[in-house]
Amino acid sequence: MSRPKVVPLRRPAADDADEAEALRQQVCALEDQLRRARESSEGRPGPLVAAARLLQELRGGLSWEKAARFWSDVYFSYHSEDVDEFGHDARFSETLMPLFEFLYAIWWRVEAQGTTHLPGEGAGLIVANHSGVLPYDGIMINLAVRHEHPARRTCRMLALDMFALLPFLAPLLSRSGAVRANPDNAERLLRKGELVGVFPEGVKGVGKPFKDRYRLARFGRGGFVRIALRTGAPIIPCAVVGAEEIHPMVGQANWMGKPLGLPYFPITPTFPLLGPLGFVPLPSKWSIEFADPVRLDAYGPEGADDPILVNRISEEVRSTVQRMIDGRLARRRSVWFG
Amino acid sequence: MSSGRLAVTGAASFLGARLLRRLAAERGGDALVALDVAAPPPALGVRHRAIDLTEPASDQRLLEAFREDEVESVLHAAFFTSPRRDVTHAHELESIGTLSLLSAAAAAGVKHVFLRSFTAVYGAAGQNPSFLTEDRPLPSGTGLRWLRDKLEAEQHAASFARRYPGLGVTVLRFAPLFGPGVHTFYTRIFDHRVVPMLMGFDPLVQLLHPDDATEAALRAIERRPRGVFNVAPSHPIPLATMIHLGTKIPLAVPHPIAYVAADALWATGIGDAPGGFVDFVRYPFVADGAKARRELGWSASYSSREALEAYLRYRHPRGEAGPMEATA
Repeated sequence: MSRPKVVPLRRPAADDADEAEALRQQVCALEDQLRRARESSEGRPGPLVAAARLLQELRGGLSWEKAARFWSDVYFSYHSEDVDEFGHDARFSETLMPLFEFLYAIWWRVEAQGTTHLPGEGAGLIVANHSGVLPYDGIMINLAVRHEHPARRTCRMLALDMFALLPFLAPLLSRSGAVRANPDNAERLLRKGELVGVFPEGVKGVGKPFKDRYRLARFGRGGFVRIALRTGAPIIPCAVVGAEEIHPMVGQANWMGKPLGLPYFPITPTFPLLGPLGFVPLPSKWSIEFADPVRLDAYGPEGADDPILVNRISEEVRSTVQRMIDGRLARRRSVWFG
Repeated sequence: MSSGRLAVTGAASFLGARLLRRLAAERGGDALVALDVAAPPPALGVRHRAIDLTEPASDQRLLEAFREDEVESVLHAAFFTSPRRDVTHAHELESIGTLSLLSAAAAAGVKHVFLRSFTAVYGAAGQNPSFLTEDRPLPSGTGLRWLRDKLEAEQHAASFARRYPGLGVTVLRFAPLFGPGVHTFYTRIFDHRVVPMLMGFDPLVQLLHPDDATEAALRAIERRPRGVFNVAPSHPIPLATMIHLGTKIPLAVPHPIAYVAADALWATGIGDAPGGFVDFVRYPFVADGAKARRELGWSASYSSREALEAYLRYRHPRGEAGPMEATA
């Protein structure tokens, strides 16, 4: 490991406070460097090293122990040993990142607008329209926040219970940072000062037929407004255009979904006709637009108990999102090229 | 603090024995009464009453013992962590035994009862919130006998706390213990080279180090807050990470098969747990320890991962020894 570079301090006539501040920053930078170095040298070999080691050891015959160690090395090459309290695994989401970045930059050519409306620090509740059968829109909003906002913040998306209970998808979502959508989780995250993304339409939005595209469903019962009022977090309305076309749902076979525990079973032009190929989303052109934050601190936490106020704000946010969608649709010439 | 004695039921159980030892060191053996069919180590110098809670007249015998020994508070730790094949005996001990103990305690004028419980009483369900708090209503019915007995014990405790205001009741819901000295059905399953898990499911699990559990119970005995407390580590760990940290081979079983297979193995005497337990590796039951932090002033010093690592060091003391050498 290379030794961290120590930058010698200038010795101007600066007063002690300045010097202390500079030292503090230097210590912070060094600690950061140390942390990163430690993370990269955690002593876990990568998958290739593990495979090579196994091949070498195989000359002595295969044993349970070798197989288990190999498996464990492969597992930890893309998982960290610790997760946060919601099950987010930083290394696992780093592993998935290239795939999502490909989808973001090349497949859907996402155009993000208004990211300056996002708070640079502190809590914020991003409220977006939900569409696209599978929760890709949440991942793309997260990437927009991560890549297009100067503070490089990450956003915790609240995943519908329906997704959070599906086999395979549930652990995937949880490890990559999504959180089960319920008021307690949202409040806990906002109180920690995180950016939280929520889709108040819920299942009604993500599972709506293709003919109803870009028509917002009811925004739940305004639960997201109540949480924002209680925590004082600003609401940032967000409009996603393009996600409706990735899996155009032309029909539903709910008799198929019921035994699988799904609220709906989508039929798209490619699914289930083409089998696994049906899971490949269509390459529409996306845009993600953030609007001015709606500040609620003036109402105070008591506002959460006022159903009329809650409904009014909810309706206001909904119409903002609908207006942004309509504006974008009016300017859009092609589904595929924007 | 108080003049009366502290009685410990299930004094030969893992947690009961550890607590008895710690309490004997702190208060002296004379301040304690061990209630168990098995005798405590004589070196502790505690009084021993061999009362079997499953006997029909056990409440009468308990009442006499409480009066004679001037028992002032009771720590009730006579519970099975692992499922029993003799379900009637388990029911008599856990549900009916708790009822007899509580009625004897109320009749003898005992001031406080501490009940050992489990975070598993919340049940593992898809609808569970990410953090289960103490005010979460407990499931009303369950097909799992192990769980039903624990739920009934908690119901008895809650109803006695309501009916007898003079009797303080503290319920401590411990997360699954994992660490040095722990031998339960789930550590037995974990000790195999191949550990089954469910295909497509990887819930977060909480593992509580026994030292943390003891510390929390001692803190509760000292402060005597009434009500229910989750005793849980701060950080959960995904089940797959747990299996790989132990260098085990995970065997992914499709869940429709898992329930049937577990039941069949249990019925034939090979399996370690009936099919009802499959829910606990399918859905999370992560308890929120905020109330214990606030009111008991206790928080776990080991995370789930550290508890697991302590267990692995205990099972494989040489560190480098894989599962093969150690089990041989």
